[in-house]
Amino acid sequence: MSDPATQALQPRLQAQASGSAGTGASTAGPGTTSSDPVRPGLSQQQRASQKKAQVRAFPRAKKLEKLGVFSACKASDTCKCNGWKNPNPPSATRMDLQQQAASLSEPCRSCGHALADHVSHLENVSEDEINRLLGMVVDVENLFMSVHKEEDTDTKQVYFYLFKLLRKCILQMSQPVVEGSLGSPPFERPNIEQGVLNFVQYKFSHLAPKERQTMFELSKMFLICLNYWKLETPTQYRQRTQKDDATAYKLDYTRWLCYCHVPQSNDSLPRYETTQVFGRNLLKSIFTVTRRQLLEKFRVEKDKLLPEKRTLILTHFPKFLSMLEEEIYGENSPIWEADFTMPASDSAQIGHQTASPASGSPALSKCLNSTSSLVSSDTGGIEPITGDKRKLPEALTLEDAKRIRVMGDIPMELVNEVMMTITDPAAMLGPETNLLTPNAARDETARLEERRGIIEFHVIGNSLSQKSNKKILMWLVGLQNVFSHQLPRMPKEYITRLVFDPKHKTLALIKDGRVIGGICFRMFPTQGFTEIVFCAVTSNEQVKGYGTHLMNHLKEYHIKHNILYFLTYADEYAIGYFKKQGFSKDIKVPKSRYLGYIKDYEGATLMECELNPRIPYTELSHIIKRQKEIIKKLIERKQSQIRKVYPGLTCFKEGVRQIPVESIPGIRETGWKPTNKDKGKEVKDPDVLYNMLKNLLAQIKTHPDAWPFMEPVKKSEAPDYYEVIRFPIDLKTMTEKLKNRYYVTKKLFIADLQRIISNCREYNPPDSEYCKCANTLEKFFYFKLKDGGLIEK
Amino acid sequence: MSADTKIAELLTELHQLIKQTQEERSRSEHNLLNIQKTHERMQTENKTSPYYRTKLRGLYTTAKADAEAECSILRHSLDKIAEIKSLLEERRIAAKMAGVYSDSDPPRKTMRRGVLMTLLQQSAMTLPLWIGKPGESPPPLCGAIPASGDYVAKQGDKVAARVKAVDGDEQWILAEVVSYNHSTNKYEVDDIDEEGKERHTLSRRRIIPLPQWKANPETDPDALFSKDQLVLALYPQTTCFYRALIHTPPHRPQDDYSVLFEDTSYADGYSPPLNVAQRYVVACKENKKK
Repeated sequence: MSDPATQALQPRLQAQASGSAGTGASTAGPGTTSSDPVRPGLSQQQRASQKKAQVRAFPRAKKLEKLGVFSACKASDTCKCNGWKNPNPPSATRMDLQQQAASLSEPCRSCGHALADHVSHLENVSEDEINRLLGMVVDVENLFMSVHKEEDTDTKQVYFYLFKLLRKCILQMSQPVVEGSLGSPPFERPNIEQGVLNFVQYKFSHLAPKERQTMFELSKMFLICLNYWKLETPTQYRQRTQKDDATAYKLDYTRWLCYCHVPQSNDSLPRYETTQVFGRNLLKSIFTVTRRQLLEKFRVEKDKLLPEKRTLILTHFPKFLSMLEEEIYGENSPIWEADFTMPASDSAQIGHQTASPASGSPALSKCLNSTSSLVSSDTGGIEPITGDKRKLPEALTLEDAKRIRVMGDIPMELVNEVMMTITDPAAMLGPETNLLTPNAARDETARLEERRGIIEFHVIGNSLSQKSNKKILMWLVGLQNVFSHQLPRMPKEYITRLVFDPKHKTLALIKDGRVIGGICFRMFPTQGFTEIVFCAVTSNEQVKGYGTHLMNHLKEYHIKHNILYFLTYADEYAIGYFKKQGFSKDIKVPKSRYLGYIKDYEGATLMECELNPRIPYTELSHIIKRQKEIIKKLIERKQSQIRKVYPGLTCFKEGVRQIPVESIPGIRETGWKPTNKDKGKEVKDPDVLYNMLKNLLAQIKTHPDAWPFMEPVKKSEAPDYYEVIRFPIDLKTMTEKLKNRYYVTKKLFIADLQRIISNCREYNPPDSEYCKCANTLEKFFYFKLKDGGLIEK
Repeated sequence: MSADTKIAELLTELHQLIKQTQEERSRSEHNLLNIQKTHERMQTENKTSPYYRTKLRGLYTTAKADAEAECSILRHSLDKIAEIKSLLEERRIAAKMAGVYSDSDPPRKTMRRGVLMTLLQQSAMTLPLWIGKPGESPPPLCGAIPASGDYVAKQGDKVAARVKAVDGDEQWILAEVVSYNHSTNKYEVDDIDEEGKERHTLSRRRIIPLPQWKANPETDPDALFSKDQLVLALYPQTTCFYRALIHTPPHRPQDDYSVLFEDTSYADGYSPPLNVAQRYVVACKENKKK
């Protein structure tokens, strides 16, 4: 096994499976036995992937023998034999365990031709392709078992069809494609996920953000459950409903088996999420029974739920489902309309922006994460295994992306036109010299080097259950060396222990076959976060953007694995780096989720980074650069259309520091509109506001602690003040601004007051006399603001 | 005449010279072919007649003249390149001075460190290779050959400068000469790292000018540091010089030195071999340990 990616995948699957053991049976409906090889019991999936790894680690001769069994004889045109049969069938032991590989000259039991004649087509086939075929062989064997065991005739039929399909694909070395009258996904638009998210928007957008978030979380949980729910068989359906639409259900059931259910454990087949390829019709067929089963399951397992989530689920979820039921079966529900948008203009988007219907799979991965917070860790909760083959039909994403365009957005044609000019090499000025531009993105060089194959990134880890290959072990040693040289304060033994710990993984940066950097991390899927343990680039390769590119790769890896939070204890030298990578000291993950999991270091700062699954991190800086170019072009176009030159503003020369945007001549003609958020609450009469503010300012100026803020800071007293503080402000300047009628809204006034305080805190140490004054003054003016009714009490 | 038009003019001339080089080459090729053929004929006839001798003498004389003509055009082109580079350098210094003296309010956007490192690498790559006439020995500041005792580095020249850091430690940094005061014999230099942004006034003992030409290992191997020699070398991706031993000198003109930095974090006291360009390797003056 030469591919390190496959190696790295192995421990992950195991870790995930063990992390969520016990889930399989609970998510699947009644009547599921975990021994059923094709049912999505986790052990089943785990077994399949272990088996694949085992088979792929065979020596070549053994692999050929295995494939020979599924390969047609090519000895002569007349030979009809379609698979080599071992003349000495193993008696008791399974043939693929310890037995010696059959020799190529061994004759076939059925046609008498040698094994070599059956596998001649594999002679020049790459190892990767062989491994792909072997994966299908394992899946075929599993399907064979399933066909054998399945009692439901409809299901049995489908398994048999898939079995034949995969056999044919091994024979022809082709990619499996489910053919026939099933059609191809998506089968319905809008899909269930969109419908449900629309429903949340439609029904709950009037709620306060917190409650809205709750509903959003419930919807996400519901969607995950659906994706891992086992549907009832057509026979069960017919008996339950007594309706004559059973044929339609049977079709959907067959599609679900082929595209969603079987691929969960059978990765030779492309896999789709139930909620993304099916829509209202399927939901109609299954909702009643699924709801009953779901509620029953939560009732039974309520003791395992986290206390704070228990109430949520037990009180809100039934209601949520009832309301959803109305929309599913109701006649005129708007949530299933293809171009559903919220009627009210002020409907805030719910929770994370990922809730928007366009997000497709990201919304799902987001919800996986938050679901794990709903259920306590000891059960592993409903967190499902997700293979990394979450492929969305391209068309779906694209079309939806167009649909949610904002009101007043520029038309797509214009964007395309602009894109043409910026990508057209002839329209560009001069050759690209991105290496020399001082504003080139930090990771630009690293990205180019990766594209040219100069550097590589691999997630690797040690494993105790199987022998790691030599290259992986060498790289782990290399990582251990890089970390211990770059982090001299960490004991070497400690680093070694963690790098070689099978629960830890490391994203390795390889250049010329040698490790030059890496990030060692530990994933806690049940806790919904990953701990960054060590992060380093060897000193002579620093300042090349490798650190940024490493972290971006790690982010994408985690999005693929549905973990959206990074936590790390950063030492004083690392804080700067982590800040640049989007980490902050503001921790959003609740303490209960990481306490006792993460390694605590004395004197280090806990930092967190929240990932957004919609961002392709390794390309982000490139995308932003592109967006800037587009906007620049659009501005140029607009400018050439308007072509009006106003005399410049003179008020700044007269000492005004800021004016309201809308008073700039010509700004409205450009299409700019003031945000009318605050308009409603604003004091209507400008003179009333003016007098209120004047009064207030006078009171503040007479406050005993206002003395440090009376006048602009003098450069003679604090030479570097204006280098540190970018927007200086003081009470004298504010008085002038007030006189100049700058404060047309209370917001502007309060912002300046607040800036006096924050500037002071930024420049002075917290225990200084100045900061003490700032603290008292802040309390004072907030009291006054409330008193005067300028802010809510 | 502005620097821009001057540079444009020089570039046109350079272009002409390159074309001429090609013409020269095509012409001498004919002659070289003739020489080869004559040799072959002589070989088949197996004797050296006076006729051939005279003929060959004539041919060789022409060939030599051709080669010299081509050589002089190439040297001329190199001069042009040097001239263009010095104009660019002048312009850079002028821009820098302008920046320094107009203490304008918005602070100059400092270069990202990665960009600075790329610039340093490029400057090392484009350092001209010294090409002497036959028998001529390489001048000071070519490769390992130190500057003469009374040499004064010019404004804008890059040097290794020994400065005292805030914590009192002495350190060799990469710096750029701002001025030299002949009465005090002191240099003013700027830290190349804009984040440092510091100006140092240092005595000339604390300054080592960096080489201004690369030495060609094929023709002037003596102008290179030899294996195991103690040097100061710029640590890759930094702006500091550290003590190092030469591991292998360059083999070809574009090659770097491979050096072993003194590093106590390694068991044998030296880092694994790292590449450093000729531009950033200078003789280590101090003999006593720091």
